[in-house]
Amino acid sequence: MYRITAKEELDVRDFFMEVEAPHVAKAWKPGQFVVLMIHKRGERIPMSIYYADRETGRLGMFIRRHGKTTFDLWDNFDVGDSLYAVAGPLGMPIEVKYYGNVVFVSDAVCGQAENYATLKAMKEAGNYTISIQTFEDKAHSYPEKFLAKPVADEHYLTTEDGSRGIKGHYLDVLRELIEKDKVDIVFGGGKLGSLKKLAELTREYGIPTIVTVRQIMVDGTGMCGSCRILYDGEIKFACRDGPMFDAHKVDWDDVIRRDSRFVREQEIAKKHYLESRGVV
Amino acid sequence: MAVKPKLIKERVPTPEKPVEERIKSFVEVNLGYDFASALKEAERCIQCPPEYAPCIKGCPVHINIPGFLKALRENADNPDEAVKNALRVIWNDNTLPAVTGRVCPQEDQCEAPCVMGKVGDPINIGKLERFVADYARERGIDQELLEEFIAESNRKVKVAVVGAGPAGLTCALELAKMGYKVTIFEALHEAGGVLMYGIPEFRLPKDILKTELEKLEKLGVEVKTNYIVGKTVTIEELLQEYDAVFIGTGAGTPKLLNIPGILLDRIYSANEFLTRVNLMKAYLFPEYDTPIAVGKKVIVIGAGNTAMDAARSALRLGAEVTIAYRRGREDMTARVEEIGHAEEEGVKFEFFLTPVEFIGDENGKVKAVKFEKMRPLEERDRRGKRKIVGTGEYVTLEADTVIIAIGLEPNRILVEASGFKANPDGTLIVDENLMTSIPGVFAGGDAIRGEATVILAMGDGKKAAKAIDEYIRGKKANA
Repeated sequence: MYRITAKEELDVRDFFMEVEAPHVAKAWKPGQFVVLMIHKRGERIPMSIYYADRETGRLGMFIRRHGKTTFDLWDNFDVGDSLYAVAGPLGMPIEVKYYGNVVFVSDAVCGQAENYATLKAMKEAGNYTISIQTFEDKAHSYPEKFLAKPVADEHYLTTEDGSRGIKGHYLDVLRELIEKDKVDIVFGGGKLGSLKKLAELTREYGIPTIVTVRQIMVDGTGMCGSCRILYDGEIKFACRDGPMFDAHKVDWDDVIRRDSRFVREQEIAKKHYLESRGVV
Repeated sequence: MAVKPKLIKERVPTPEKPVEERIKSFVEVNLGYDFASALKEAERCIQCPPEYAPCIKGCPVHINIPGFLKALRENADNPDEAVKNALRVIWNDNTLPAVTGRVCPQEDQCEAPCVMGKVGDPINIGKLERFVADYARERGIDQELLEEFIAESNRKVKVAVVGAGPAGLTCALELAKMGYKVTIFEALHEAGGVLMYGIPEFRLPKDILKTELEKLEKLGVEVKTNYIVGKTVTIEELLQEYDAVFIGTGAGTPKLLNIPGILLDRIYSANEFLTRVNLMKAYLFPEYDTPIAVGKKVIVIGAGNTAMDAARSALRLGAEVTIAYRRGREDMTARVEEIGHAEEEGVKFEFFLTPVEFIGDENGKVKAVKFEKMRPLEERDRRGKRKIVGTGEYVTLEADTVIIAIGLEPNRILVEASGFKANPDGTLIVDENLMTSIPGVFAGGDAIRGEATVILAMGDGKKAAKAIDEYIRGKKANA
């Protein structure tokens, strides 16, 4: 069992959770993810890592209250409780080396976690690091201490409605940056639709771009093939070959479509859960 | 003067759940023997001497079959004692008889060369093995017997086993019986491997499997779940802590069809479909959180046991199911019993059809499969199957869900992370003692075979345990 050691609200929808999983913390490298099961009847869900502390054996994660499992996790699991399974690390680590000017862009929960984790490693490798974090609005933005600011040489916070930080999306800020300065590589995470647009933007400028391709997974080890994507004309598994890929080689329309395969079932599960809690 | 016993040619049958009941649930189909009927069947055995018995030779783990049947017969008036003695004989060679009694292709192994098969039906060895295991479990006899197998001297020599499937479990149990301190590393959250995620409840109930797995703890084997060797811990790290390592990672990567439309929704690999249903219990969704989306018309591609399992599971989820196979009926690789069960339950079969394209609707969901019709030739391939050629004629079958069950290959995570010598198909290269290219690291089961049966994997696990024992003794002697 894997004990929860911290839990904190990030905004009206997302929360931070820290879990003890020394076997994973010891081996994790930026770019890799974990698979959680909250209890025996639970589903296996892939989760990005905000940090992995080898000393304490703890993993920090950002989680969105989105479906049944994450509502259940927020409602029913507190510090001191334990999760049923934490497996990992899974996937391929990113190549941490000197690139020059490294930008990480993110506009949703898993991307925000990776923004911090990736830039931290990149900064330690001597890169000049720039973080652009986008939130929908002030109510959906994270407290200062959870931003990637401490690991970024330059940090931009944007909201789409301008209620906090710069008004606009990371795509707008990134375009400005690219036009005024040299950007050697872009990393990205968050909404798939934005990543598709990011790929189009950086392709225009010929800038290498590595992004997290979120796909529905079961085992996370390459066993089920659920997370298959079309990549450079070939089938790749996001869990085993990714989750980070060259954004310019990903067939985004297919990825976005496959991500919504279980929407109907997700809604059934959520409704069932909320009814059982007397919420609906 | 001894009276020559009369040969009873016909098998004592085992009852099965009626079709109309079983297709509505995942309860086990075959109900097995009771003691009286098991005894009657055991008495049909003509007791070939063990050194000759063809059934023993036909069994990949060489269970002393005449021996356990004799034990049943010798205490006919004391069923508990009879079963205990029989179980002891089986456990000497196979510690998971409730599993093998259910999932082995006995008709191709122990039962195939049975002398009784020349004059009538071969002895129903599989069902008898299963009876002994089930009776012992139900009466708690297995727990008493387990005490005998707990090794007295713990040599404090540690062995790591990677993967808690049939090969790894057998290797671990055999080593534990010899007194080694064994730790199993399992990537999933539960032990069992393919027995857990691949084989449905109606063929191998999970409660029964879990009871078999409890032996691990009783024999002092530690199981570390959620460990992905090659990621969580490397082989090098394991070798620093353990005297030897056994790799039983199986063949977990699904082969997908490289044809247009493979990314359409509701096209599952059999692994994904069965993992959702069996391991994650998606058939109990939303009581369990993992969903499965299955439509009304399912096509399963392939004709092995996995295809049968997927087809019969889909049927139980309320679909109309067709199995499409590129070869003919006689070339299906599934067990005869499972093909029979699938047919009885209403699965339809289409032969000589090779899929060439998946056709989707405007939402990207599969709606049909286009097949090329195949024609068999007289010539046979190296596996003895008739070769097939395309006819240039096509047929399109409607389907709102497709399950691809055309085979598996080894998961490359470990091979790539550790620098093992491997074949192009990803199977590990081993020597005659099942040792890999890394000294002290042994391997068996589908990790070296590509794709085989539970019992062959168990045979490897057992052979590797012996080899590991010799390797460690040799190492200690030279130290």
